[in-house]
Amino acid sequence: MRDYLLRRFISVVPVLFLVSLMSFAVIWIIPGDPTAAFLGPSSTAEDAQRLREQLGLDQPPLVQMAEWYGRVLTGDLGQSILLRTPVLSAILERLPLTLMLAAMALVVAIGLGVAAGMLAAARRGTWADQTVMTFALLGLSVPDFWFGLLLIVVFSVQLGWLPSGGYVPLFEDPVGWVRSMALPTITLAVVQIGFIARMTRSAMLDVISQDFMRTAESKGLSGLYILMRHGLPNAMMPILTVTGIIAGALLGSAVVVEQVFALPGVGRLIIGGILSRDYPLIQGGLLFLTVIYLLINLVVDLLYAAIDPRVRLE
Amino acid sequence: MSVRMKALAFAFGLMSSVMVAPMAMAAGGEIVIASVQGPPSLDAHVTNAQVARNITLHIYETLYARNENAEPVPDLASGVSVSDDGLTYTFKLREGVKFHNGKEMTSEDVVASIERYRKIGVSPALVAAIDTVSAVSPYEVAIKLKQKQSVFLDNISSPRAPIAIYPAEEAAKGANEVQYIGTGPFKFVEYQPDSHVTLEKYAEYVPNPAYDKRDGLAGKKEVLIDRVVFRFIPEAGARTAALESGAVQIVETVDGPTAERLRGDSKYVVHDVLPFAFQVIKLNHNQAPTDDVNFRKAVQAALDMEEVMEISYAGINQVDGGWVFPTSPFASDAGLDQYNVADFDKAKAFLDQSNYKGEPVTFITDNLRPNVDIATVFQARLEAIGVKVDIVVADWPTTTKVGFSKTGWNFWTHGFGIEPFEGPGTVMSAFVNGNAQIVPDPEIDRIAGEFNATLDEAQKKDLFKQFQLRMLDNVVAIKTGNYGLFQVTNDKVENFVPFRIPRMWGVTLAQ
Repeated sequence: MRDYLLRRFISVVPVLFLVSLMSFAVIWIIPGDPTAAFLGPSSTAEDAQRLREQLGLDQPPLVQMAEWYGRVLTGDLGQSILLRTPVLSAILERLPLTLMLAAMALVVAIGLGVAAGMLAAARRGTWADQTVMTFALLGLSVPDFWFGLLLIVVFSVQLGWLPSGGYVPLFEDPVGWVRSMALPTITLAVVQIGFIARMTRSAMLDVISQDFMRTAESKGLSGLYILMRHGLPNAMMPILTVTGIIAGALLGSAVVVEQVFALPGVGRLIIGGILSRDYPLIQGGLLFLTVIYLLINLVVDLLYAAIDPRVRLE
Repeated sequence: MSVRMKALAFAFGLMSSVMVAPMAMAAGGEIVIASVQGPPSLDAHVTNAQVARNITLHIYETLYARNENAEPVPDLASGVSVSDDGLTYTFKLREGVKFHNGKEMTSEDVVASIERYRKIGVSPALVAAIDTVSAVSPYEVAIKLKQKQSVFLDNISSPRAPIAIYPAEEAAKGANEVQYIGTGPFKFVEYQPDSHVTLEKYAEYVPNPAYDKRDGLAGKKEVLIDRVVFRFIPEAGARTAALESGAVQIVETVDGPTAERLRGDSKYVVHDVLPFAFQVIKLNHNQAPTDDVNFRKAVQAALDMEEVMEISYAGINQVDGGWVFPTSPFASDAGLDQYNVADFDKAKAFLDQSNYKGEPVTFITDNLRPNVDIATVFQARLEAIGVKVDIVVADWPTTTKVGFSKTGWNFWTHGFGIEPFEGPGTVMSAFVNGNAQIVPDPEIDRIAGEFNATLDEAQKKDLFKQFQLRMLDNVVAIKTGNYGLFQVTNDKVENFVPFRIPRMWGVTLAQ
């Protein structure tokens, strides 16, 4: 186990290096620089050059790159050009929001998705199955930004039940926080609910046809008991497998949802960084998200081994 | 209003304030404004961004500020005297003006702020003519110029990246390192990037006693609400939804169809701010075929400006080719016979005289929808005379990068928002030294130089006529028209008068 963890941690290093190298390359390939955010359209090239010198952007890319790697090794992600604060603290400030949003969406997606998938499997071929699968397909197909706007129109504008956007910190006002996170969470979860429901249904149908399920049935146990006690744990394995992928997708979609609901999360931070060419912010943000993604996948693999005795890590 | 009516009105006002009628106007309350994006900085000296200006002009003030007609009038200064040689401007400061930290503003703060702007200000052209700045007395500042400059007061009062007066100790700090302390009617409370900026009424603020009403960015700035929050909502649909759900009371700008829909609803007031800006197509004189005046004339003759403006800014545009706003004292029809010709035969005749060989030309634009629309209309019009146009759409930083380069583009369209507001001097300076068109135009440079040096109004007007004529004769750039924007308020916001920035002084909130 210890060896396994060590191997996993060592394998992370080349991945991070590659990601940072790629983000560097992309940054230097896309034209434009941070001066565009400060200067209006009729500024002169001289104004831009002056600002570049002030911001320390007049150094050759390779020099800037070497400096950046040197700093990262000491745990310093540099200063954001636009925010004038350390990149790391800017990210850490926003991280709770994005992680909570993604985590809540994951819980909602698994809860609703598994329940719907089990219902569809247990009532295979009935109208209930058809209905669940239709909705699952709809959920999968709907663009998240459009669905978010739809929720805003219904629940904020028409019914006036929930805020249309903006963020209320959890510790300032817990009720306000729940209200401000409700619509973004549902928007983020909707695609994954459809995905998980379909997966659960097919996994469950596989399990139902297994011998041990028939044995349980012949013992005279109730249908629901068998499904929950024997069917679900076995059907959960393929779902757990894709949880890492789902978490990655949620982190990616969070960017869009944060934009629609005007939430100050990490996704918007990085998008803002890209639009204003805030190099240190883009670099640091991408590196950080990569670390989180790798961590999630590690946790999923460990869980997998813990749940399924057939899986050996060594 | 007769005396009796006034007395009645007064009595009624008194009664209603005691009885708390349902729609009684009470001072106070919080107004939330939905903005498109957050400011790159709240250090007024270092950013030209409109989104920053909207906020900073509530926090900071300048010696002179622009009134409703964009003329420079005293704001923190009570007046100015100019020496006979036109080189020394002595500003008298208003006494008893307090910064948000409680300190009184004196000449020391003014000198330090102007010196800071000279060092790190993002629009160095505004202070380029200054030779020295010195304190004459605690309430007098003398600014000596290197040479006469007719637009000096225009510059010192410019809202572009305002030469805001900071406390001296803040002015000693570098770019973006200041605490946001000004003398304005609102004081800074908090800035949550990607979320909001909160300002609150500055209780110690004394409106300039020389004025009795709002006037542009100057005049009487009286705050009748407690707080204002600028909330950044990037998604247009979500901005409108925030207004309709009551979460915000003002939206800084909405698109045409939304404005039309809200106009039909008595709960909202749609304010047309027109003209707000020029729409300009810049031409690269350094690259074929736009280096050839006949080719440029062909393009100018082919365009139908009604079509261009109505497609990009439906319902909020003016088909006007003048290089100042139509209300400006400098407005004239010089050269306008060449504007909005929309004649393919004429265009083809020019094209035949040009060196154009059928190669594709490049039109760059950022991804702002109206700009992309203009590029599309432009492409179709030029196709009709046999010119192939490639449109390259990118985000703003990429487009500016290409547009500031000597090659890689022929046409570039964007708005000129603050320039026409600042006045003819600024509009000209966009084309001085080939700033916008890459290759200097000696005639433009001569006119701008003379304009800058003369203090004679009649001569300035004549020079500006020459400038406008040259712009159209030589097709230095193409102005397609003026566009505006729709500001929307809900029915709770009272006494809101639309202007270039959503001014929050003088506004009240129905409880």
